[in-house]
Amino acid sequence: MSFEEPASIEVVIRPRRGWLDADWAEVPRRRELALLLVRRDFLVRYAQTALGPAWSVLQPLLTAAVFVAVFHKAVRIPTDGLPPALFYLSGLLFWDYFSRSLLGVSTSLIDNAALFRKVYFPRVIVPLSLVASNLMAFLLQLAVFLLVYAGFLIAAPASAARPGPLLLALPLLLALTAALALGVGLWIAALTAKYRDLHQLTRFLVQLWMYATPLVFPVSAVPARWRPIFELNPMAAIIECSRRAFLGAGVVAPRALAASALAAAVLLASGLGVFAAAERTAVDTL
Amino acid sequence: MLPAIRAEGLSKRYRVGTPGSATLREAFSRWRRGEPDPRELWALRDVSFSIAPGETLGIIGGNGSGKSTLLKILSRITEPTAGCAVLRGRIASLLEVGAGFHPELTGRQNVHLNGAILGMTRAEVARKFDAIVAFSGVEGFIDTPVKRYSSGMHLRLAFSVAAHLESEILAVDEALAVGDAAFHRRCLDKMDELRSAGRTILYVSHDLETVSRLCARTLWLERGGVRDIGPTAEIVPAYLAVLLPLGGAPT
Repeated sequence: MSFEEPASIEVVIRPRRGWLDADWAEVPRRRELALLLVRRDFLVRYAQTALGPAWSVLQPLLTAAVFVAVFHKAVRIPTDGLPPALFYLSGLLFWDYFSRSLLGVSTSLIDNAALFRKVYFPRVIVPLSLVASNLMAFLLQLAVFLLVYAGFLIAAPASAARPGPLLLALPLLLALTAALALGVGLWIAALTAKYRDLHQLTRFLVQLWMYATPLVFPVSAVPARWRPIFELNPMAAIIECSRRAFLGAGVVAPRALAASALAAAVLLASGLGVFAAAERTAVDTL
Repeated sequence: MLPAIRAEGLSKRYRVGTPGSATLREAFSRWRRGEPDPRELWALRDVSFSIAPGETLGIIGGNGSGKSTLLKILSRITEPTAGCAVLRGRIASLLEVGAGFHPELTGRQNVHLNGAILGMTRAEVARKFDAIVAFSGVEGFIDTPVKRYSSGMHLRLAFSVAAHLESEILAVDEALAVGDAAFHRRCLDKMDELRSAGRTILYVSHDLETVSRLCARTLWLERGGVRDIGPTAEIVPAYLAVLLPLGGAPT
């Protein structure tokens, strides 16, 4: 390395100055580490499981089956005239990516405390690699959804479900979901480094958040006067928009989507800031 | 010549009395009563020194004198509360042995991951891979998950990766080193080798004999501050003179 990098490389160590003072330049330089962490997450997740990556396929299918039994058959919540299985699977696609990433990022400081106590690298690489490695599970889940969808279209060609032009917006929706999960997750990670209580709360908060998101019910089932409050949930517009893209039904308010994008940007920027603040002394309190 | 390390007024304050982490309730009740934070401890206070490139600096002092804290700050594991340090070149430490080793991954996968964690590029690890494996002596098990390794194999492979990291500055904290006598011997051999290769070395140890042998200059820390710094031949006897009449390590 000494001949690849000049020996004059200079590292200045001093207390943090200001809100966003962190070693950002080092992050892209360590992208190989990020990629290896992604690979590790993937290898370790399915180590010694008989079904391996099939779990990423089974999990949403089982959840959707439970939703069909409970929310469709028992509680009779409408599904915008769509086949309930497709309705739930489409919503779970983005929600699972969101909740999995958020929960992973939120414990990334605690989970890697032993490593962080031994060696320095920009800590933010761990949350970034988590969000990236969860993309693989997302893609598997997407494949499952598309297969089930194709099955439905063949079995019932008259079904109301039709993909729409919003499909083009899916990469944007995915980016928004990643930014939101990362933003909120980084906030919680930074705060749990100091206040361990939050760790216990996070799962509950995510569960609560799920029921405030149109996952088991359509936005059209929300009374009009509650809509403005409902739209404060940045995940609501993303889920409803993705459902509209895949299945052609759902209420998509451009205003709500713009608010989601704004929330994602603010949460991500501030999350990076508080995480940068926490990471520099996190090993002292973890 | 510019120093390899220049530290100016490095200080580190730890909060004690709340081991681990505080809880929301405590913080809230303190805030409501307008109380300051609980007791504070300065693990390091106003430490300044500089090391020339290629120099081996010994760092001695009793338990709690701030030796490990100093190394932690210089290797950027935690940040100082005040002061600054300028390092020229990469710093590696032999206490990072096995950082990020994952039991479910194979030896091969762990070498690549651990190398990246320590700051090697992918090309660098690929180039040194055979040498790393040969040095560790676990060739036959390189594609076996590390959780099936004996602790000795685990340690040898981990040390082998760390030993092949080419950094300009090496930090060795012997108080934290784990392993048997043979491993200890290897650490010292590696240090000797790097020293003659012109690397800058920080050597923290209670072993005054080795400090005297390896280090031309020694930094003596006491209760977080610099008690003295100078030629080892002067510092070690002075340290012993304080140590021995008390019949034990000062606290």
